[in-house]
Amino acid sequence: MDQIIFESVRKVFRHRPAFFNWLGKERRGETVALSDITFSAARAEVLVLLGPNGSGKTTALKLISTMLLPDAGSVRVGGFDAVHDARQVRRQVGIAVAAERSFFPRLSARENLDFFAVLDEVPRAERASRIAEVLQDTGLEEQADTLVMKFSSGMYQRLGIARALVKRPKVLLLDEPTRSLDAGTTAHFWTTMRALSVQGTTILLATHNFAEAVAVGDRLLLLHHGLLLAARSLIKGDTAESLRAFYFRTTGATDEAIETIGPSCDPVIGL
Amino acid sequence: MTTTLDKLHAILRRDLLTAIRYRSGFVVTLVGGLTELAAFYFLSQAIGPGFRPNGNEYFPFLLVGTGLYTFFVMSAQSFLSAVQEAQQTGTLEVLMTTSTNPAELVILSSISAFAGNLFNLLIYVFAGVAVFRASIHVNFLSCLVVLLLSVVIALAVGIAAATLQVAFQKGSALLWLLGSGLWFLSGTLFPIESLPRPLQFLAHTLPLTYAISGLRGALLDGQTVFAMAHTVGILAGFGIVLLPVSLAAMSFSVRRARQDGTLSFY
Repeated sequence: MDQIIFESVRKVFRHRPAFFNWLGKERRGETVALSDITFSAARAEVLVLLGPNGSGKTTALKLISTMLLPDAGSVRVGGFDAVHDARQVRRQVGIAVAAERSFFPRLSARENLDFFAVLDEVPRAERASRIAEVLQDTGLEEQADTLVMKFSSGMYQRLGIARALVKRPKVLLLDEPTRSLDAGTTAHFWTTMRALSVQGTTILLATHNFAEAVAVGDRLLLLHHGLLLAARSLIKGDTAESLRAFYFRTTGATDEAIETIGPSCDPVIGL
Repeated sequence: MTTTLDKLHAILRRDLLTAIRYRSGFVVTLVGGLTELAAFYFLSQAIGPGFRPNGNEYFPFLLVGTGLYTFFVMSAQSFLSAVQEAQQTGTLEVLMTTSTNPAELVILSSISAFAGNLFNLLIYVFAGVAVFRASIHVNFLSCLVVLLLSVVIALAVGIAAATLQVAFQKGSALLWLLGSGLWFLSGTLFPIESLPRPLQFLAHTLPLTYAISGLRGALLDGQTVFAMAHTVGILAGFGIVLLPVSLAAMSFSVRRARQDGTLSFY
């Protein structure tokens, strides 16, 4: 059974300029973030959303998390509608957002996790052990009792992942989860994601990183200007380089790394 | 199982930890309150014992009026600040994706913001009595009833300010109105009978007028709930109307912000 069903979803952001806008240059208009997008993700599948900035990856994740409401179409998670059964959807979804500082700065990492765990209705008896577990999984044990205002970007990002994991969600949404992580932590994170998938968690991963897509993904969707350009499975023979070539071939964009440096050089992995 | 009380405890704990980790915050509030009390005490001394608004000595009259007014404004301000900070850091969006219903979250967060300021109000009144010898004649039950109803109304005002913040990013406009326009209409510093008739009429449309009058009756004159039935009834009426309306407006503005993608705009 499909855990996530995205059916003919359209999302438009309308710009409403401020009063007395004649003082500035902002004008009315709209941005089509997603245009009639349909896809699904099965239980235990790792689905990678690939695409340049502004392609609609984050919007798709926010729609699934109920942070945003669709203008048309439907989003269903575990059989529940994200608009009409939002609370049921939220119970199943954990999201690690790209905004690094979405924590209470004068609480420690442990206190922040405990606070969100209560709001996510994690049973009291399990809270402490689950928090200890996710702190270990994200390598934050030593910083557990440090106020998060003293955290680096990478530590914020790891804490964001820990927060998403503490409720043990059936669906995990990750927005560029390894953007600020070092190589060792990234490798450990990929292993953790594969392990979660084996345990039955459906994972949606928005990334610019081809190596990450190949390392953890089962399937990928290529988004471009709010359109779904391609959907394909990731197979054993796929490499970051072959995925990069597929990306530029499909989007029609120019691979400037090869254009300017020359084909004899190794292309930079990532967008 | 996680209950609403667990959630309230978590929110109160978060706010308490945050407050005490702003090390000088409590001391500044305490010194500020005492300075204000001293100013009102000497003002009442300067005016002299002949001025007895509503039959009360002037200093106790000021103590209750300014204390309750500050409670209203500061409570709404602290709740609004929490919402603004959550918008700026991106916490608001994440909070809205937790398993807790947004309306429940708003109410619990506002209760926490108001609890701290209720504590400040009690300290303020206690200091006025203990340090500046304000004469009071308390009916505890009446005080409790008036305070409870005042808290409900203040909650509604705070939620309304937060609604404006989420909808137009301008919750501070309502607080500006509260801070600049209402203090002289609600009988904070002088009896509303001193105002011209049209302004007296306006004063009688404000819940703060009844809250201040009710608390003066309960704290300074020892009036029973029965004797204050008229004031208590009006306060209850305001609470019954304002709280559901402000919650419905908040719910609508959050839904609209989710539709427009403006939940984290500030």
